[in-house]
Amino acid sequence: MQSGYTCSRCLHSLRRLTNTKTHTRGYSSISQRGGKYTSTRASVRNAPVPKLLIHRRAITSQEHQGQISIDEPPQITTSPRFKSKPSPTASGNVLLEPNNLFHHFSDSPSPDMRRRAAFMKTHAYCTHPSHHQTRMPLSPHDPEARKGAKSTQAPAFVRFECPDCGIPVSCSEEHWADDYESHMEICDTLREINEDDHDLRSGRFFPEFEYPGPQMEEAVVNMTNWDTYLYSREYQAINEERSLRQATRLLTYPVTIGSILSELSPYDFRRDGRLTIEGLKSLSALRYTLHPPRTGADGTIKGLRPSPPPVRVFILGARAESSLPREVWQQLSFLFHRVAFHLIFIGPESMANRDAEFPLPERTPGNPFGAVVEDRISHEMKISTFVEYYHTLHQAGLFHPYDPYFDCFVLFHPGLGHPASSHEWADTLPQLLETKVPIICTGYTAWDMERDRKWVEEKMGGEMDVLMEPGENKFRSLRWDLNDFDPADISCANWGVWAFRGKRYETTMKE
Amino acid sequence: MAILPRSSYYDKHYRQSPALIRARQPYLVRNIFTGLGLCAFTIGVYSWTINAVAQDDFSDVPIPDAPAQPPHSPHTGVEKSVSAAALDQQKAERLKS
Repeated sequence: MQSGYTCSRCLHSLRRLTNTKTHTRGYSSISQRGGKYTSTRASVRNAPVPKLLIHRRAITSQEHQGQISIDEPPQITTSPRFKSKPSPTASGNVLLEPNNLFHHFSDSPSPDMRRRAAFMKTHAYCTHPSHHQTRMPLSPHDPEARKGAKSTQAPAFVRFECPDCGIPVSCSEEHWADDYESHMEICDTLREINEDDHDLRSGRFFPEFEYPGPQMEEAVVNMTNWDTYLYSREYQAINEERSLRQATRLLTYPVTIGSILSELSPYDFRRDGRLTIEGLKSLSALRYTLHPPRTGADGTIKGLRPSPPPVRVFILGARAESSLPREVWQQLSFLFHRVAFHLIFIGPESMANRDAEFPLPERTPGNPFGAVVEDRISHEMKISTFVEYYHTLHQAGLFHPYDPYFDCFVLFHPGLGHPASSHEWADTLPQLLETKVPIICTGYTAWDMERDRKWVEEKMGGEMDVLMEPGENKFRSLRWDLNDFDPADISCANWGVWAFRGKRYETTMKE
Repeated sequence: MAILPRSSYYDKHYRQSPALIRARQPYLVRNIFTGLGLCAFTIGVYSWTINAVAQDDFSDVPIPDAPAQPPHSPHTGVEKSVSAAALDQQKAERLKS
């Protein structure tokens, strides 16, 4: 089994072991939650098994694991989160032409979309106010909040597909017509989602998934917005809007982190006020490490210089992020020169969509939590994945000591205040605040982030400093995603971002 | 290489691609004004200089008529012989202006 990314000892244990999936079985119950946001995450978890990272050069034989179209060079992977079309025909025909991307889900040429339509019709409820509620409304904007007082009918599954967007949104045409105004708000976006999903499965060549390599330090990256970032990092020009959406869907993860930590960050203390004084302090400490001065080092023995330890980015509650292609995560290390990175994915679902890398390594004294370590990605990047809750690892002192000059926590859509997931964060959060290391959080909407912030403030009794005010993320995903459990719930990855940290006291009262 | 490396941000007719225009967008207005300002400054400097070093205007200086008869000394050229008095007059006028 060839692999570029997994260390040889992990590979060896993978070959040897025949125990399968003991870890994921226990955690499958976590995904059985209702609710707006966690069902989004649950649907991510149920997302089809992706591109195999280990079998980089082999086209898998499973019918729906197809990935690369014939034209793509073998090492370019399409997104692992989404299924591509079935393995291409010998002549490399595309399934769908670019002008033929809109299809109703049930009549789609792609079997995967038809399967999704069938799934939605058996799991998603019609949002018309005359049905009874099926779950607690999670926000004032939730369509479930409109149901209740005047509800007369039993909840019904969605069956009727809107003719404009092709996605089943209502149980019947009458309810669709009745609720037209609220559907119209999202109909255009749903149609866009429809076309983007078909585009991903159309089997065309994806030039937007070709990522550039490192560039010289003098060629400074402009992080004002996506277009300037892509141009100054010398990506291939992405002229189509649709291609831009597909590309940013993946790149949002590393670039969001990079845009905050870098000294070229668009979030400034002065200009738009997103960063606070405490934020400036915390980020200056990190930037001191991330932009080191030249040391006169070169490749010779005389050019050896002491090098600092790697910057550790802990990505907690990692779900699909951990399965992103490693070229995407490397874009983070290309923003910073002469810095080594260690990305640590921690979370019960951190091996989502990575079934090919199972079984996990054995728990040995050298690797007490059976982490999957990928240290061959590049000289500057190492990725470890722990399938554990963070508080377990914190109590074990695995990553101790934490240094605010080197470490950073990143939480992608954690749902801190979300009723279904907040109990899981209750143990972890005090430990995060105690480390005094900056914690960057993203969220699906502004309301989501405010709720998270209020939850943190209440739980921690104000023992936290906000480093960056909640607001829109300049490097959010431009592509909207559909939640298969609720078609009216559309979200884009990393829509908003904010950051906080445990409160530091310069002096403490002596009792 | 067969051809010179081409940036994907320009199409085959070397026009700017939409990606490049989008990337330039935040700076477009400011750059246009800077460009206009620089051009205006350059044109201004040139025009002032040319104006300043332009030749003097002698239209108000009376040019004495050419003498009808050449004076005692024969001359072959067409140069005008200017009398000493006329020369003094011109000097006085130049000093005045």
